[in-house]
Amino acid sequence: MARSADRILTTHVGSLVRPPQLVEYIEAIEKGLKVDMAAFDALLQQSVNDVVKRQREAGIDVVSDGEYGKFRSWSFYVLDRLAGIEEREVVAPVGAGKDRSKFPEFYAEYFPTQRLPKRGTVVTVGPVKYKGQAALKKDIEIFKNALKGVDVEGFLPVVAPASAAPFFLNEYYKNEEEALFGFAEALREEYKTIVDSGLYVQVDDAFLPYMYDVAFGGSDLAGFRKWAEVRVNALNHALEGLPEEKVRYHICWGSFNTPHTTDVALKDIVDLVLKVKAGAYCIEMGNPRHEHEWRVWETVKLPAGKKLVPGVISHSTNVVEHPELVAERLVRVARLVGRENVMGGTDCGFAQTPLVRRVHPSIMWAKLESLAEGARLASQELWGRKAA
Amino acid sequence: MSASPDRILTTHVGSLVRPDDLLEFIRKQQDGEPYDEAAYEACLKRSVADVVKKQAEVGIDIVSDGEYGKTISWSRYILDRLSGFEERYDATIGFRSAVAGKDRRDFAEFYEEYEATHGFVGMGKTFKTGSWYVVGPIKYTGQALIQRDIADVKQAVGDTKVVDAFLPLVAPASVVPQRTDEYYKSEEEALFAIADALREEYKAVVDAGLIAQIDDAFLASVYDVMVPPKTIADYRKWAELRIEALNHALKGIPPERTRYHLCWGSWNGPHTNDVPMKDIVDLMLRVNVGGYAIEMANPRHEHEWRVWETAKLPEGRKLVPGLVSHATNIVEHPELVAERIVRLAKLVGRENVIASTDCGFAQGPFARRVHPQIMWAKLGALAEGARIATKQLWN
Repeated sequence: MARSADRILTTHVGSLVRPPQLVEYIEAIEKGLKVDMAAFDALLQQSVNDVVKRQREAGIDVVSDGEYGKFRSWSFYVLDRLAGIEEREVVAPVGAGKDRSKFPEFYAEYFPTQRLPKRGTVVTVGPVKYKGQAALKKDIEIFKNALKGVDVEGFLPVVAPASAAPFFLNEYYKNEEEALFGFAEALREEYKTIVDSGLYVQVDDAFLPYMYDVAFGGSDLAGFRKWAEVRVNALNHALEGLPEEKVRYHICWGSFNTPHTTDVALKDIVDLVLKVKAGAYCIEMGNPRHEHEWRVWETVKLPAGKKLVPGVISHSTNVVEHPELVAERLVRVARLVGRENVMGGTDCGFAQTPLVRRVHPSIMWAKLESLAEGARLASQELWGRKAA
Repeated sequence: MSASPDRILTTHVGSLVRPDDLLEFIRKQQDGEPYDEAAYEACLKRSVADVVKKQAEVGIDIVSDGEYGKTISWSRYILDRLSGFEERYDATIGFRSAVAGKDRRDFAEFYEEYEATHGFVGMGKTFKTGSWYVVGPIKYTGQALIQRDIADVKQAVGDTKVVDAFLPLVAPASVVPQRTDEYYKSEEEALFAIADALREEYKAVVDAGLIAQIDDAFLASVYDVMVPPKTIADYRKWAELRIEALNHALKGIPPERTRYHLCWGSWNGPHTNDVPMKDIVDLMLRVNVGGYAIEMANPRHEHEWRVWETAKLPEGRKLVPGLVSHATNIVEHPELVAERIVRLAKLVGRENVIASTDCGFAQGPFARRVHPQIMWAKLGALAEGARIATKQLWN
C-alpha cells in the first residue's frame, strides 16, 4: 500500500496452511486437553518466523502471519474474544444455501470431506465487549518479532462485524442494528490495536457476499442489499477514526470448492463494497465464477487514493496459474484503474481454519511464487522493460 | 466438421461420467467376474441414449457417446481392439513411467496424497497399471466393438436436435507410449503398424457418418517426462515421428470429418512443467484434421489464447478451445465463457470457433474429475456462454 509504486506489489488474503506440528497443538487445545502452553508459544513464534521468511522468499511484498495464531476459523476465532455473547446449541443448520439445493448430491459428498469448524448459535446477552486483548497482543507481538529484519510489510487479517456473527439471536439490544453496532464497537478495539502497532489491518468479510446465497435464496437482491448495507454501516462505525491507508477490506463468496452458481454479482454490490472506509479492496477475480468481473472496473470508478487487490490466483484448483496469465489479469485491471492502484493478490486464504487446507502446501507456495513472477511480468509491461 | 454455421456451436472432449449401473458391469469385467453380456449391452445402449439426450438438453450441438463403450481408459481401451500386445504385471516399465515427470518430482508429496484418494493420475482407485509388451504383429481386431459404439451413438442421436456426433479414438502416440517391443525392428516400425491398425477404427467411424476425434494427451504430456534432462529439440523429434504416424493413419480420411484433441494430462495437478502451446503449435497444425480441440480454460493454459495472435489457423480448419475446466468444482460463469470465445473469434474468425471443454470429465470408467451434477452445470454454462458470444459476434 505504501512502498515503492514503480511496480506491481504482491500480497495475499492471509491464511496459510499451518505446519503439522502446530495443527497438533491447536487440535489439542481446542479439545481442551492439557497442553504445555510455553512450548506451544515457542512453536507458534518459530512457525510464524518461518512463514514470514517463506513469503518473502516467494516474492510476497505485504505478508501475513498466516493466521497461525487463530483458533477455530478466520471468523469464529473472534467469538472467544468477545464478551456479552453466548454460543448455544445450533438450532438450524447454516450454510444451506441455494447453490446447495441446486447440487444436493455433490454437496452431500463434499461437505463430509471438509473439516468444518464448530460454532454454536451466537446470542447477544449483554453489551458486546472486546475481551481478546491478550490474544491479540500475542498475535501482534509474534508477528512483529517475525517481521524484524525481513524486507516486507505486514498485515493482520481480522473479521468484519457481518462475518463475526452472520446469524445471531439478540436478547439484549433493542434491535438488530443496535446489536451490530455493538459488535462493531467491540471489534474496533481489535482493528485499532493492530493499526496502532504499525501493521496493516485486513478486515475479512466473506459472509457479506456469501449470505446472498445462504439467506436470500440467491435471488432477493433488494432484501440482501438492505441486510448488507446495515453491516457495511456497522463496519464503517468500527473503522471510524482509523487511517484508511492502513485498512484493507476483503470480500469473497465463501472459499469452498463448490459450484458457486448463485453468487451475487460483484456489479450488484460494488457500490456497497466501496463504501467501506478502507484504503484497499481485496476481491476474488482468479476463479472462473468471478474472473469476468474485471470488466466491472470498466464502468465503476475506484475512488482516488484507493487500491484494488484482485485475486489472480485461485485456491480451488491444484493447477498452478501460469505467470503470464497472472500478468494478463493484473495488466487488464491496471489499465482500467491505474497501474499505481493495483496490487497482486489471491482469491482467498489457503487455510480458513487451522485444519482446512484448500490445496497442498507445496502447491500453495508454487501459486504464491507464480503470483510474484506474474507481478514482475506485469510490471515490465506496465512500466517498460527496465522496471522490476 | 460441420458446415459454417451462423452461431457458435458447442461440443466437448468426449468422456462423461458413467452411470452406476453401467459401472457395475465394467467392474465385473475388470475383476474377471461373470456377468450377463446381453444385459451389459442393453445397459450400455440405454446409457448412451440417456447421455446423448442429456447433452442435447443442456445445449451441446456436437455430442459424444460419453465414451461409455470404452474399458480401462480413453487410451488403453484400444488394447481390447488390437492384436500383438500383452500385459504383464512384472513391475518392469509400466504405465506409471509414462507420466513420471518433473511435475511429479517437484510435487512428490502432493501426488502421494492425491493418488491415495483419487487413484493413479486420478483414474480411480481400481485403476491397474501393468506393463505392456509388443509380442506379435499389431492388427485391428475391434471391428465388432467399434460397430457397436457407432450403432449405439447413432441410435441415440436418433431424432434429437443435435447438429452432429463424434466418437473419441486414440492417436498412435497415445497407445501405451511406454512399452517393451519384442517384435518390431524399430520404434518407427511399431508406430506405423499401430497407425495402420488405428486407421481402420478412424475410417469406420467416419464412414458411418460420425466425426472421429483423435485423442492425444500423451503427445503434449510426454514433454514433462522427457525434459529435463532431455531438451525440447529431443522432445520435438519424438513428437514429429508420432505426428507422421498419425497422418499416415489419417490418409484418405476426409479431414473435415476428423478433429484432433491434445491436452497435458487431465489430472488435477500443478502442471508447472507442461510444454507451452507456442512450442508445439506448428506440430499440432501438421495433423491433417478439420479441427483442433485444445485446453484453454485452466489457469496453466488460459493465457495461450494469445498464441493465435501469431499462429495462423489453416483455411478450413476449426479451433475447438477448452472454455470450461474439469480441474475445479466452480462452474464457469457464462460471461467468462463468452469472453473466452469472443477473444479467440476475433483472432481466427467467428465461423472457425467451436466452444468446448478442456478435456473429458471421466478419462476412464472409474475416473471422475468432478461430480456429475457439476459436469452438467459446466456443459450448461458452456452452451449459455456460446449463446452470449453468438449475440456479440453476429449482432
